[in-house]
Amino acid sequence: MATLTAITSWTLADVQHFARRAGFGLNPADAAALQAQAPGTAIDAWIDGSGPGYDLTAFNSALSTADVVTEPLVTASTSDTGSVDVPAVPGPHPFLVGGANAWRNNLNTAQAYWAWRMQHSPYAFQERLALFWHNLFATGHHKVNNASLSLKQIDLFRGLGLAKFDDLLVAVSKDPAMAIWLDSVLNNASGNNIPNENYAREVMELYSLGADNGYNQADITQLARALSGWSFTIAEADYITNPASPSQKTAADGHFKVYDGSALAPDTRAYYGGARTNSPNQHGTGSISLFGQSFDITTTANGWAKGENALRSILTLRASNCAQFLAKRLLTHFVTTGFSVQDLNDVAAMIQASNFDLRAVMKTLLKSQYFFDPANRFALAEGPVSWLVRAAKMLCPSLAAASALTPKGFPAWRLVTNNANTFDQMGMRLLDPNGPNGWKEHTVWLNSNTLRYRTKAAAAVALNETRSSNSTTYTLFPTFPTTDWFPAAPASAQAVYDRLVALLQPAPIPSSVSSAWLTALWPSSFTWDTASQAKARELAFLILCSPSGQLY
Amino acid sequence: MATRREFIQTLGTTGAALAGLTACGGSSRSTQAVPAPPPVPPTPVPASPILVIVNIDGGYDWLNVMPPNAGANLAAYQAKRATLGITDPTLLTDLGSGAALNRDLTGMDDLHAKGRVAWITGIGMPNPNLSHFTSIDLWGQGAAVPAGTGWLGRFADTAFSPSGDVLRGLTVTADLPVMLKGGNRSFISIPSAGGYVFPSYLLSGNAVADAATLETGWATSLNAASADLAYQAAAQAGKMFFDAQNHAAFGSGGSLLARTPTVAYPGDATYPIKRINGSNLTSSLSNQFKLIAQMIAAGLPTQIFFSRLGGWDTHSNQAEDHPNLQRTLGGSIKAFWDDLAAIPSGSGTVQDRVMILGYSEFGRRVQENNGGTDHGTAGLSFCIGKSVKGGLYGGYPDLSNLDTNGNMKFTTDFRSLYATVLERWLGQAATTTNTMLGSAYPRLEFL
Repeated sequence: MATLTAITSWTLADVQHFARRAGFGLNPADAAALQAQAPGTAIDAWIDGSGPGYDLTAFNSALSTADVVTEPLVTASTSDTGSVDVPAVPGPHPFLVGGANAWRNNLNTAQAYWAWRMQHSPYAFQERLALFWHNLFATGHHKVNNASLSLKQIDLFRGLGLAKFDDLLVAVSKDPAMAIWLDSVLNNASGNNIPNENYAREVMELYSLGADNGYNQADITQLARALSGWSFTIAEADYITNPASPSQKTAADGHFKVYDGSALAPDTRAYYGGARTNSPNQHGTGSISLFGQSFDITTTANGWAKGENALRSILTLRASNCAQFLAKRLLTHFVTTGFSVQDLNDVAAMIQASNFDLRAVMKTLLKSQYFFDPANRFALAEGPVSWLVRAAKMLCPSLAAASALTPKGFPAWRLVTNNANTFDQMGMRLLDPNGPNGWKEHTVWLNSNTLRYRTKAAAAVALNETRSSNSTTYTLFPTFPTTDWFPAAPASAQAVYDRLVALLQPAPIPSSVSSAWLTALWPSSFTWDTASQAKARELAFLILCSPSGQLY
Repeated sequence: MATRREFIQTLGTTGAALAGLTACGGSSRSTQAVPAPPPVPPTPVPASPILVIVNIDGGYDWLNVMPPNAGANLAAYQAKRATLGITDPTLLTDLGSGAALNRDLTGMDDLHAKGRVAWITGIGMPNPNLSHFTSIDLWGQGAAVPAGTGWLGRFADTAFSPSGDVLRGLTVTADLPVMLKGGNRSFISIPSAGGYVFPSYLLSGNAVADAATLETGWATSLNAASADLAYQAAAQAGKMFFDAQNHAAFGSGGSLLARTPTVAYPGDATYPIKRINGSNLTSSLSNQFKLIAQMIAAGLPTQIFFSRLGGWDTHSNQAEDHPNLQRTLGGSIKAFWDDLAAIPSGSGTVQDRVMILGYSEFGRRVQENNGGTDHGTAGLSFCIGKSVKGGLYGGYPDLSNLDTNGNMKFTTDFRSLYATVLERWLGQAATTTNTMLGSAYPRLEFL
């Protein structure tokens, strides 16, 4: 049985467990400060992002002046979301890829931007939750081909990630990146046309119910009719010009519209461009039968789009299936894969009782005795993006210190994502999953190839890797062991180890392993000198690469 | 030294390949049939067989790869594929039996004409699943027990040395598909040939201080005993890489011996077949095949390789995407096959030892939608090799007798293909084969 009663007190280990799972970790000092608060109050604030500790003002200010050091290739588009290659534009550039920089349409920059947000945003839960929803509503750049639209979808998760699940599901179904990704923009069921069932299938199989869980093939075909013509338009103001090539512009945003032949707003283009004044007619009419009930998909009600009533019925007519689906995904990402059927049912019942209120669900789950059960601590293998983000967060300078560096101390992610495709090699090409099913989690993250590349990423962050770009050498992850890692000089090899373990928070390392490491690194007497500081880097590397270092 | 017969055979292959490429002609579709040379009789199964799996990922619309070209099936096909159907005889190579091969599957008509290809039409399973991911799992597992293992993983459990053979099963994809997971053995994933030896690839290839300490220290953690299953999983994954990178084939710089392909592959600038729009084909599968050829030439002791070409989920834009995908698939296989003839092996070449197996998780709906095709059921698998008795196996589904969802009924259980390969190519005893697959499935007679 999963005891969902909230804890009333917590240890430092509890706090760190919570921060690893519900964020990207906290260093010992910050964890101790959080522990001083009552867990209920602290977790509410953490999830809501309320209070001065979670204020985004300074973060957003730093973001707006952040720069990247290189743009080896940029793509932009002539008229719509398709793209063409244009020559590199010498940096530095503002780091942002949305809005005025949408012309850059670069996956690697978008990845870097998000990784940087994960590392430094004070509202870590918002980014962690966005990462969860990104895996669930997995949408791939290789087909969307518009980084701005991809990041708009991530923003949607930031905004609605704690909303009612039905509202989130509807918003995702209307999202331009998703509409391209799973062919909603090509789903034409007007007249005698046969609908494209790509989205209708996956919205039930992957996004709300799970395979073979409460629907059949006929339901897919019917829902595809209901959602036919769900597309988007692009306003003239949404087109952003490439400063290096002013004739080229790309769409930075899109606006949901049912393509039912109705008039477009002035200065607005249909998704496929051109000078149309009307949307093409792609929406089916009449009624459909879904889950044994009839839905009129021609009319609108409650301010809903045509067919939205059918989409929303997934949660009303298949509530228990949906709750089970969500419970399984939430447990797998946030708690454990070792849940029993009873645990799953308990969490699903809680979700259904909350009426799919995600804020209430997350608060109940993440405060629960079940979540804090010591058996669930380090019970999961961590995904590679959060694994590397957490290492960087623990070992690299704070946002304020990084902002004072030249370049500003965060070129790392841009170089990491571009030159080395590190995320891809570790098995998670952020913002560009292979398929709409995203990534399987826990031990599936770990194979002979992904482990190999985790060692490469660990070396970058722990061993001070440098790389050249535009004839300048940069440190990928600027790190300062004597100030940041060891504000007080350690007196022994064991003290070095203890402090690094406190920062990196691996699962328990067998004592035979740690003693072998310390003996090899410091075979004789210990002095905190330059040589020992280099050894400390090597020890951090070994901790990060070890089997214990993959668990969280 | 090549015998006179082998020499003629090799020449014939090259000549036909050139003829096939010329006939297909640049970016346009081919319009001219290649005269078929007489089939070459199959050779005995070699002593050291190699299996190369090609995962055609996304559920390929094989009905447009091998469409019906006669009889009732043709009429049904024309009715349901009014826009996307491939019916123009000049785009097809007649296979007899009422089916034809789409000539966009570049080079495969030539391999077929030589009798090298066994096509298993209508391959599938009872209670098919229209989910990509469920179906991929079913195809990977082959049987439900033990849970989470694949048919080739169970082969590894049985045939591989428990303490060695780390390179015997290898995927050139970055992931580890369930098909390759055993109960206690898994395949290794090596998607690139360079910088493989730890810790040479760290720090952008710059010298790593204390390399020996790092190597020993990491190995210590990988070899440590732990009762924690998650720890064990992480240790096993790391150890697999750690053990593999010690193989002598990875030279002192950590890279496999370089190898220049002897033929042009899709995606190469010199490869004559292009995409419909005239641009180069993707080199995705080519690069995997080039790596496999390099690995074989470098002497890796690998018996089974796994590769993948994705992009086949043609719900939309099929008229353009599907020909491009077929050109990539067929062209890459043909180039790889021809390239293998340049790698010596014993008294012959590696071509004598390799069989290529292509499969996809399902076929697609017979009735097209508005520009594409949705998920279906029965599929088309194929095996290519010198030992293969070429021809059509299984049975072509009756397109007028579909299931309630409008999908084809399967004619051959996919585990019959696995059983045939396990027993007759990989040399497993019949009873062992049946145990791995959970039942005694009828063997196919292409081997």
